[in-house]
Amino acid sequence: MSLAALTASNLRDGEVVFWALGRWAPRFADAELFDDPELGQAALILAKAQSTVVVDPYLIDLELEDGIAVPTSYRERVRALGPTIHPEMGKQAEGGVVIQALRVHSGGARSSGRLGLIRLKK
Amino acid sequence: MYRYDAIDKSVIEDRAAEFRDQVARRLSGALTEDQFKPLRLMNGLYLQLHGYMLRVAIPYGSLSANQLRGLARIGRTHDKGYGHFTTRQNVQFNWIKLSEAPDVLDALAEVDLHAIQTSGNCIRNTTSDPCAGATAEEVDDPRVWCEAIRQWSTLHPEFGYLPRKFKIAVTASAQDRTAAKVHDIGLVLRRNREGQLGFEVMVGGGMGRTPYLGTTIRQHLPVNHLLSYLSAVLRVYNRHGRRDNIYKARIKILVAALGAEDFARQVDAEWTAMDRQAVDLPDIELARIRGAFGYVPFADLPPVSGVFEAARKADPALARFARNNVKAHKVAGYAIVNVSLKAPGEVPGYGHSEVRVTHEQNLVLPHVKLDDLAAVHAGLTAAGLAASNINLASDIIACPGLDYCALANTRAIPVAQSIARRFAEPDVAESIGELKIKISGCINACGHHHVGHIGILGVDKKGEEFFQLTLGGSGAEDASLGDVLGPAVAYDQVTPAVDALVEAYLRERRGAERFLDTYRRVGLAPFKAAVYADAH
Ligand code: SF4
Repeated sequence: MSLAALTASNLRDGEVVFWALGRWAPRFADAELFDDPELGQAALILAKAQSTVVVDPYLIDLELEDGIAVPTSYRERVRALGPTIHPEMGKQAEGGVVIQALRVHSGGARSSGRLGLIRLKK
Repeated sequence: MYRYDAIDKSVIEDRAAEFRDQVARRLSGALTEDQFKPLRLMNGLYLQLHGYMLRVAIPYGSLSANQLRGLARIGRTHDKGYGHFTTRQNVQFNWIKLSEAPDVLDALAEVDLHAIQTSGNCIRNTTSDPCAGATAEEVDDPRVWCEAIRQWSTLHPEFGYLPRKFKIAVTASAQDRTAAKVHDIGLVLRRNREGQLGFEVMVGGGMGRTPYLGTTIRQHLPVNHLLSYLSAVLRVYNRHGRRDNIYKARIKILVAALGAEDFARQVDAEWTAMDRQAVDLPDIELARIRGAFGYVPFADLPPVSGVFEAARKADPALARFARNNVKAHKVAGYAIVNVSLKAPGEVPGYGHSEVRVTHEQNLVLPHVKLDDLAAVHAGLTAAGLAASNINLASDIIACPGLDYCALANTRAIPVAQSIARRFAEPDVAESIGELKIKISGCINACGHHHVGHIGILGVDKKGEEFFQLTLGGSGAEDASLGDVLGPAVAYDQVTPAVDALVEAYLRERRGAERFLDTYRRVGLAPFKAAVYADAH
């Protein structure tokens, strides 16, 4: 079963945000999880219409870390956390189980975690 | 320092006002993102991993104390209290809100700074020698020529939409502190036998996925023809550069495709046909620019400072600092102080209120009295900025990498931090000697890895962060591109691999050879064996 979330950058301040039942949440822990690709696509179409709210919305692949959904791509995990060299900055500062799962998950260092664009080198 | 006149000021104030209007129209929805993106990029505003990043031009790396304070204020008020100095002597803020970006441009304009042409396919900030105006090596002050280039190239209608970005470096010393040979145009100012000043013009250098060293197309261009000759080079490039393919659009590809001789012939034809007088800088304007740099009121001092000599003998830390970070000044009784930023803190106020940013991501206080050196060192120590490691293994260039950059494959800063920790012991670092390690988080090579004595390039291998090592590169006057050592190593193997390379060097080293010299003498084999010993 594939799992996805919808992310974008907030237009006004550039902050990373996640789609959460029709609104945009700053925490990945609040992101809506799509196990049906059609629902994800429908949300993406709605998000693209919000061009004065967000920039460049796209779907990201997720996988499970100890039962918790986390982005497959390392790049997306860094976006959901903040800079690894400043653990006190960004979203990671508040901690919690989802943040911990994002931190410990490994793999997926590719520069794009966009659904349908990931091409792992074989 | 070059002092802005009323025209300089009005240009950047108008530009900031224009951007305020553009941002308002984007926020209201009057402009779409597709319409707005090129406008924000023209003002150095990128959208990166965690937010908007603003790249501010530091003209040829030269800042007044007031400008540095202005940058610090922006960092505190509009960012998270820090910025990154780049390998192009600029500074980047990583957490700028779009809604506040116009206020930031206003705050920059207040201290005569801006972000114009820090992005886009135009002529970017000119790189220059951070020791300009202070080193006895130079034949003229390169900043005067950089400023002439800045004024000529800013908002130049013909060169605002080149096939790709365009970077120029100017140095006037035998020792190249600008990486001139890996710029689109590298200019080396020299005197010929008759004593006349002229530029050696090198074109087609660059890094990225296809690195090249620049080729000399003119040995001695009379200085008064600089702008017309640059125009001729840019015209040939503008006409024939590969706009159809972003990977082939830099001038280095054109020069390689045509051959340097043919390229030079075309430039000469263009230059001969051109109305040079209309383009070249009139002597009076050159004199105005030279005059606008003002005069540093050097005191008449003895070449040896008793105060400093006594302090150096009494304080081994100061002695080490003087050995590694302090360089000779052209004026007796003064010194050039390199401030290593590979340690956190703030910069205190010495050095005739001038600070330079180096392409190696450090700062230089260009004019410090020898008598003041002990006090400067004490101030730097208090601020956590007295690391005595210039050009040593812990003085590493690293691009922002995956911690910030939307294009990255891997992180670069934590890799640099790990290597720096390994060589943190000052005696160890000094015993190894000059070792330039440079790290890029992707093939765009912002961290100059191609020209590192040890270059480290982040690559993606089946979804994991891996790092390809290169050896033997140099961005200095003995420029060369590094050779690939072998298969890429994993994130946690980079520091052990660098350690093994250093061990191999220490085994092979003869006399006072630097790492680079030993590598050039013995080649890859012993280094390869040291790193991949376990694998074979
Ligand atoms: S080298 Fe790559 S990762 Fe590093 S700053 Fe440049 S584009 Fe970003």
